[in-house]
Amino acid sequence: MIGERGVRRWALGAALLAALVWLFPYAWMLLTSFKTPQELLKAPTALPTSLGFSAYAEVFRALPVARYAALTTVMALSIAALQIAVALPAAYALAKLDFRLRGAAFALLLSALLIPAELRFVPTFTLFSALGLVNTLPALVLPFAVSAFGTFLLRQALLSVPNSLIEAARLDGASELYIVYRVLPPILAPSLMAFFLVSFVHHWNDYFWPLVMTVDDTVRTLPLGIALLREQGSGVRWHIIMAGSTLLSLPALGLFAFSQKYLMRGLGSGVG
Amino acid sequence: MKPTRPSEPWWLLAPMLGALAVFFVYPLLSALRTSFYEWDLLTAPRFIGLGNYRAIFSSGELFASLGTTLLVSVVVVAGSLVLGLGLALAVNRPGRLAALARSAVFSAYVVSWVSVGLLFLWIFDADAGVVNQLLSAAGIGKVKWLTSTRMAPLTVALIVLWKVTGYAMVVFLSGLSGLPPEMQEAAALDGAGPFARLRHVTLPLLRPTAAFVATTSLIASFQLFDVVRLLTQGGPVRSTTVLVYAIYEQLFRDLRVGRASSLVVVFFLVLSALTWLKLRAFRSQEPV
Amino acid sequence: MQRRAFLLSGAVLSGGVAGCAPSDAPPGRVVVPFWFTYGGRNRATLQTLVTRFNQAQREIWVRAVFQGDYFEGLAKLRTALAAGAAPPLSHVVGEVVPYLAEAGVLEPLDDYPGARSLPLHPALGQAGSFRGGAERSLVAVPFNRSTPIAYVNQRLFAEQSATPDTWQTLSEVARALTKPGRFGFGCPIDWWYWAALVGQAGGEVVEPNGRISLGDEAGVRALSLWQSLVAAGVMKQPPGRDYNAWEQLSQDFLAGRVAMIWSSTAFVRYLEETADFPVRALPLPRGVRGAVPTGGTHFVLLKSAPSELKSAAWRFVRFLLEPESAAFWSSETGYLPVTTEAAQLLQSRGFYARHPNYRVALDQLAVAQPWPWSKTLFRIQREVVQPGLEAAVLEKRDPSRAMAEARRLAQESLH
Repeated sequence: MIGERGVRRWALGAALLAALVWLFPYAWMLLTSFKTPQELLKAPTALPTSLGFSAYAEVFRALPVARYAALTTVMALSIAALQIAVALPAAYALAKLDFRLRGAAFALLLSALLIPAELRFVPTFTLFSALGLVNTLPALVLPFAVSAFGTFLLRQALLSVPNSLIEAARLDGASELYIVYRVLPPILAPSLMAFFLVSFVHHWNDYFWPLVMTVDDTVRTLPLGIALLREQGSGVRWHIIMAGSTLLSLPALGLFAFSQKYLMRGLGSGVG
Repeated sequence: MKPTRPSEPWWLLAPMLGALAVFFVYPLLSALRTSFYEWDLLTAPRFIGLGNYRAIFSSGELFASLGTTLLVSVVVVAGSLVLGLGLALAVNRPGRLAALARSAVFSAYVVSWVSVGLLFLWIFDADAGVVNQLLSAAGIGKVKWLTSTRMAPLTVALIVLWKVTGYAMVVFLSGLSGLPPEMQEAAALDGAGPFARLRHVTLPLLRPTAAFVATTSLIASFQLFDVVRLLTQGGPVRSTTVLVYAIYEQLFRDLRVGRASSLVVVFFLVLSALTWLKLRAFRSQEPV
Repeated sequence: MQRRAFLLSGAVLSGGVAGCAPSDAPPGRVVVPFWFTYGGRNRATLQTLVTRFNQAQREIWVRAVFQGDYFEGLAKLRTALAAGAAPPLSHVVGEVVPYLAEAGVLEPLDDYPGARSLPLHPALGQAGSFRGGAERSLVAVPFNRSTPIAYVNQRLFAEQSATPDTWQTLSEVARALTKPGRFGFGCPIDWWYWAALVGQAGGEVVEPNGRISLGDEAGVRALSLWQSLVAAGVMKQPPGRDYNAWEQLSQDFLAGRVAMIWSSTAFVRYLEETADFPVRALPLPRGVRGAVPTGGTHFVLLKSAPSELKSAAWRFVRFLLEPESAAFWSSETGYLPVTTEAAQLLQSRGFYARHPNYRVALDQLAVAQPWPWSKTLFRIQREVVQPGLEAAVLEKRDPSRAMAEARRLAQESLH
């Protein structure tokens, strides 16, 4: 029987293996981005001979990276902000107020999980076409106004907020809206932070929705732009594609490094 | 707590309900309606009754894409449960290595599918990709990761697993941290070794967590699109055409809005059925 | 309040960002968005021509927008048309022109200045590219046109003495050039090359009376040729879908893993420049006759655009068809010179004498086959034949049955 020490060794071994398996691809992506086309053709697995940034220069030459990145950021910020604005009152009502049909409202929200974006895009596209909104920022933002995940998260957090706090605010003359948008947010700060981060990252990285909702590069997002690097006509340029891939990963990884704890806590606490 | 006014909850819920109505309920009902028409977006729609449903059943397209999706989801759900739990157990301890592993594994969840897709397209490249290069250097020979109809769906599933295991791990970590340590200590005092404790104490308590992970992994694997689009475009020979990709192709490649809608309706029914089954299965196993 | 600050700044930014959509156009000019799908080097060449045009006059600014490959770009164009967001000018593959024309979205060009007198090569204009194309309203004007040709690694090719000018000799050469670790022949399992083989076997993809025959017996023979070469181990079928397979094959060719490939004349520049061995282009073999399909794309103007934009777009098209521009495009990329004037210009400058590989496709136009004017041609290609060919070769299906099945599906897809 494996004893305690054996388990510890196994665990450390597993951790090491995991770290390797999950870090190697990034390393490979980075290394490839420094290579030259000749190196790629002749010796794909060798290390690059120098830290050449020409692939990165080419990415910036081929795409308006800054513009795409700025637009993607604005879009993701708008979505996160909108979702929070919609979820706060809803979570408050679902967590704190007693009313008939509360269960039904909750169930409706739950069922939204069963209708992912991939199921909604066809009619939403035709709707936006009729309204002339295809290929605009609203088409990228509005359909995500409701975040079931986020609403659950806030509701969960609100359940542990003592009612006395809210009643005290009411006695002080606070309107319900004031309570929802001014009193509760500071108390809910960790959950709000997690909500914001998860939503922002998820929508920043989104490929599918911008792909189907845009038809040219007016509101093209960075993931779409980078995916277009796989263009035909003169050989698959892996070093350039990997440079693009690296550039695309940097914001998410940067945000992750900065806010790891919040993200992990936020996602973990989604469990009942 | 009592609402200040009887209508208050509904005002507070109004934005959410409004958005749900416009962006969730309407699209689903609209898809249902469109599924009875033939429409290419450029000319007028034509009513054809159940024609689309007949077509997707008889052409085998529905079963093929459903089958592929199920195949991939089985691998992803099973994999994320096993790997997620295993990794959570392995890294649920203090120390720098554990922290590094936690971050590394979870970071895959945070980056874009585009990055991951392009990266693994290169890594699994049949000729120059690093995996095959290493395999042939080791004398094993190159594997057609993405170019054989048998391997391609498995490779896709593996890549998905690489990306989502971090999420499962984090959820299990949270679940583990919520377990009362007294039970573990009591079992240890009773002489149970680590494996026994795992089997008889930890796992049963983690059942709700596992249910959550399984359900989210299932739903996530049914939503797969990006990785297929970037790596195989549904091929070779449609072996990686999952449901969402089939819908996308119907709409954008073939301009058959009606048929895409019929696939959407079936997709919704299947997803609901699976979720309902999942919930029932786990509710009946609730620890007493 | 933090959140409100978010919302506000988001609104301001989005107003700003969306407003400053990519318009580097000098003020006062008509901006013509042109959606294109040339990648890599050809993209740079197109951009050069766009810049030349923009600098040569002061009224119009063409803004070229990259949309991915032909099929992605076509998908976006069709959805944009449906959403009322289409550009005035784009380019599409020949197979889809009839569909778009019948759907009524293409602008008729007969009355545009100079449209009737363009010195187009007879095989490349709408009249020559489609059976019955001359009787219809002019809607398509060629720009990057091509035929399939064969490329051989001259160094390896010299190891044997035959010329692959018939199906028989093609097999022989393929066999002779196959060594361990190297295939003698490679060809993407693609509609285009299959159509070439069908023509060479004496068949038509769509009969003149409109029946979708997929070549009948000829279609089967085309498929069997591939299958037999693959089975004999002398032909590599590159993995990947659509143009990914063509790219992969180019890489294999350049790396010396395949000695002879079928590809488009559009790759001639890239292959010549990148290979570290001499590259020689050859015409495709004869079966019972010589036959090649034409490929590449045609310019189309979209009816839904305002007429001011359409006229401006037409001026750009005329510019691209001027001898200097068309010759430049052809010599930089390998696509065919679409006007007789451009071809003469290249000839008189000794271009073909210095670059004989570029002549191969031009000479091959003598046996170019027109496409049928069929609005389901595109659907048949993408939904029925392409997947059917892939499946038949990859899974070694019986060719007669595979083609019969494809024919049946093609009939069904008519509604």
